[in-house]
Amino acid sequence: MSLSVSDPMLYAYLLVILAGFLPTDVFRFAAVLFSRRLDEDSEALIFVRAVATALLAGVIARLVLFPAGDLAGVPLWLRLLTIAAGVAAYLLFRKSVFAGVIVAEIVIVGGAILFR
Amino acid sequence: MPDNNGAKPETAAALPPPRVWYWRGMRAGLSSVQGMVLFAGFIGFGGLIRDVGFPLGAAVLSTLMVWALPAQLIIVGGFVAGNPLPVVALAVGLSSVRFFPMVASIMPTIRGKSGLGTQLLASHFVAVSAWVESIRLMPAIPVEARIPFFFGLSNIFLFGSIAASLVGYLLAGTLPQALVNGLVFLTPISFLLQLIRNSHDTVDWLALTMGLALAPVFAQFGGTLDLLWIGLIGGSIAYGVGRWRRTRT
Repeated sequence: MSLSVSDPMLYAYLLVILAGFLPTDVFRFAAVLFSRRLDEDSEALIFVRAVATALLAGVIARLVLFPAGDLAGVPLWLRLLTIAAGVAAYLLFRKSVFAGVIVAEIVIVGGAILFR
Repeated sequence: MPDNNGAKPETAAALPPPRVWYWRGMRAGLSSVQGMVLFAGFIGFGGLIRDVGFPLGAAVLSTLMVWALPAQLIIVGGFVAGNPLPVVALAVGLSSVRFFPMVASIMPTIRGKSGLGTQLLASHFVAVSAWVESIRLMPAIPVEARIPFFFGLSNIFLFGSIAASLVGYLLAGTLPQALVNGLVFLTPISFLLQLIRNSHDTVDWLALTMGLALAPVFAQFGGTLDLLWIGLIGGSIAYGVGRWRRTRT
């Protein structure tokens, strides 16, 4: 591809600025301009927040179901079991995110040692 | 803390100065589970870039300028695969669409009376971490103090992440594989638990479950825009049902 730069180190920096910073902050900046007309308790804000929550939930599900890199070597059932254990621990320990994360980590690290 | 809207002048004067709120934001960031998880994730990022030969300076710059771990992973992946720049930019753009609803939903809460420049700068620091913690913490913060508090919170997240990525870079190759798997899995499990904790009404719960349930469906049919569809369709259903239940009562 003619667009790729011959020096790979320089190419990394170009990627960060042109392919990373620009296409990311354009959405952040556009959202600031858009939100100037939104009130803290407006209907539109409830909708926008629902979209953001669903989108983030989609990102979470993808990270678990279709992981990139090394995590793909961990069996799917173990990844799902880890999620279930983390949510169960969160509920059991009076809604403690910390407890849920710790239990999930024990399951995934222990399981990865045994089953991969 | 009571809402100070239309407060007498002396109430505003009694409020600690901005730097105190900046400091409190930093402390909140350091003591949050989200912060620990974020730093652990960036330890993993530091290890990854060393393994694949991505330059450390560009990696640090990506944390500073992009500030979105999924997008940064796409950049590193594109670098390794030798993908052309426009292809990487498109993939990053699609993954960063989520910042539009995130920033648009948090900005009215934190902006107070700040100007456009301050808001644009603040928006750069919005990522999942600061978004989730802002939704949880901001209601207890006086409106005028929210901007400095937000900068303290989000700056400690960003600069702590850069430090963590340096640690990961130094540790690369020395960590057992199972532990690396655990570091990578921190992101989805902590995001999920914090979304659960921040869910208070029908709209929140439905948006969360719709997003999770639609992901495998759209992975089959959605093509490259699947996340966008998940957000729009899942969010619309959640909003619609929530509104229907509110107007009925």
